[in-house]
Amino acid sequence: MDAIAAFLTVFTDLELLLLVAVGTFAGVYIGAIPGLSVTMAVSILISFTFSWDVYPAIALMIGIFMGGVYGGSRTAILLNIPGAPSAIATAMDGYPMARRGEAGTAIGITTVMSFFGGFIGILVLAVAAPLVSDFALSFQPRDYMLLALLGILLVGSLSGESLVKGIFAGALGIAIGAVGMDPLTFTERFTFDQPLLRQGVSFIAVMIGMFGVSEALAQLHHVDTPAIRQKITRIVPSFGTIRRHLPLSLQTSTIGVVIGALPGTGGDIAALLAYDHARRVTKKPERPFGQGAIEGLVAPETANNAAVGGAFIPMMTLGIPGDAVTAIMIGALFIHGLNPGPMLMIDRPEMFWFVVGALVAANFFMLLFGLTGIRLFTRIVEMPRAVLIPLILLLSIVGAYAVNNSITDVYWMLGFGLLGYFMRLYGWPLGPVILGVILSRLFDDNWRRAIISVREDFGRFFWGILTSPLSLALFTAVVLIFLSQTPLWGWAKARLFGRGAEDAP
Amino acid sequence: MSRNDHDPFPEEAPADPHPHARPDRHPGEAAFSVLMVLASLVLLWEAYGISGFEALSAPGTVPMATTAVMAVCAAIVMLRTFRLPRAEGEGFWKVVLPRPVIVVALLLVGYALLLRPLGFLPTSLLFLVIAVKYLSRRGWGFTLAVSAGSLLAIYLVFRIVFTVLMPPGIVPEGEMIQFFRDLIPGRAG
Repeated sequence: MDAIAAFLTVFTDLELLLLVAVGTFAGVYIGAIPGLSVTMAVSILISFTFSWDVYPAIALMIGIFMGGVYGGSRTAILLNIPGAPSAIATAMDGYPMARRGEAGTAIGITTVMSFFGGFIGILVLAVAAPLVSDFALSFQPRDYMLLALLGILLVGSLSGESLVKGIFAGALGIAIGAVGMDPLTFTERFTFDQPLLRQGVSFIAVMIGMFGVSEALAQLHHVDTPAIRQKITRIVPSFGTIRRHLPLSLQTSTIGVVIGALPGTGGDIAALLAYDHARRVTKKPERPFGQGAIEGLVAPETANNAAVGGAFIPMMTLGIPGDAVTAIMIGALFIHGLNPGPMLMIDRPEMFWFVVGALVAANFFMLLFGLTGIRLFTRIVEMPRAVLIPLILLLSIVGAYAVNNSITDVYWMLGFGLLGYFMRLYGWPLGPVILGVILSRLFDDNWRRAIISVREDFGRFFWGILTSPLSLALFTAVVLIFLSQTPLWGWAKARLFGRGAEDAP
Repeated sequence: MSRNDHDPFPEEAPADPHPHARPDRHPGEAAFSVLMVLASLVLLWEAYGISGFEALSAPGTVPMATTAVMAVCAAIVMLRTFRLPRAEGEGFWKVVLPRPVIVVALLLVGYALLLRPLGFLPTSLLFLVIAVKYLSRRGWGFTLAVSAGSLLAIYLVFRIVFTVLMPPGIVPEGEMIQFFRDLIPGRAG
């Protein structure tokens, strides 16, 4: 009963509902405008909302998250520029459709399918999270440590050019998170004897630097690219079209939820896998894939929105983020004094149901804003970058300063912005850095707890992993990620799936 | 839209959406990888100084492990990078640090330096005017209108709605807000 009341909080409180609506609206446009990303928006927003109550802050951020994941598809379809990484696969068939003059149809399908996928994701979240959190109570410290490691490794292996660069980025994040006084022993770590470093590096400064400033600097390469106009006609898709693609969208939504729920993997990977899946199972697409197949739109768009609900599962129940955006959401919960993890579900169950309710509301608003306001949309997307980029930078500075009223944080932000710019340029992924920073404490604490509980005996620690099914499964997953990057993996795959690979086109 | 083959941040969706390793290296990439190795080693040394090999649960254990991992990974990346051929036709100043990036980065540093003494409103206006004028190469009318308009919007949203405190500097900002508050009857103080 309490759960239902908490679930309905968003709908009964007009202010919260309005914030979700504003957030979703802003998210759709932030996701759609090339040069603005959801990660950027949410990380800047944390700093502005941290003095708010937790409900309004979360309501706004959930709206932006949900709207942003969807909004990225708009520019992918209209301009072949994915507004967000999760929309890369959408461009494959969306842009060819727009070139045929079917941009309206493409946007309509995308919107409805995103709504559908989002709904499945939320449904699974509502059902699965309480179960996972019950299960998570039996987790040992070593399991948390392995989960954190797994999350960082998954982001590292899937998001960039190479796993080695990903691991480096994750380790860098853990090291950044360790700067300052060790909370257990009050030993100074990485302070280089500077009093300034004793309080550690503000993770918001790191986030805004890496996702705001570095992104804006990278966008300067395209400052002269002119905006392109597109004409959009009919947008609400016919019921028949939707019904025809229902079976596929169910499958791809499932892929989305599962991928989203894995720690460290989010909407971008879910969308790619779903796209590959659609290409495999669709025997007779209306048009070949890559030339405007509707199936090629349905799959990634259901999957990346389903992944939103999925990503909240490990975030709410384990405190392990699903991707960079959820990592930032966890940061937001930290700031508001909440500690995501199995205890959150027990101590503050209303918080969980509130999040579910906000997600549902955001999903409806996404459908609403997605099917209306097209004319306004084309206007906003044409905003010149020469104006947009200075504004992003200004907001980044204000955001970094506002958290602690400290000019030092601004310098940190600029420093990490520059580092992030070069890392982007040379193909080092940034997602693992943020995951590392967020998970640093959890990783370190649980490692120490685990090793102290076996009296510093590494043999017993390892024996513990081998004898617990959960630890063993996590450990195996970690090892497999490493193996997947060695030649051994290719050899094993050829032996195991040799025939299957030949059958595939 | 023309596709620039040497664009390090391609905008358009790639032909193959799965990420791939590049066949050649950008200018400065080798130097950056060396820098990462050196930075990792410095951090590793610093981590060793925390508690050395005292105990597996010591405060320095995880830092040492992570910085060691960083050093090894950076070294592998460095070796791989050096083996790649240098991309042809890419100039450092064109691909890595084109002039807009340098100018805007310097403007940011200037902003951070001036924020405290000058205050949020004048510094931001200065920053926006210079950046927008430089990047858009449009007339002063456009530049001033856009800068002042967007600064006003940002100020209203963040100062009033989000109640973010920014350094007032030379602008008597608090008094101004109080003045406008007093104008609204019934909300004095």
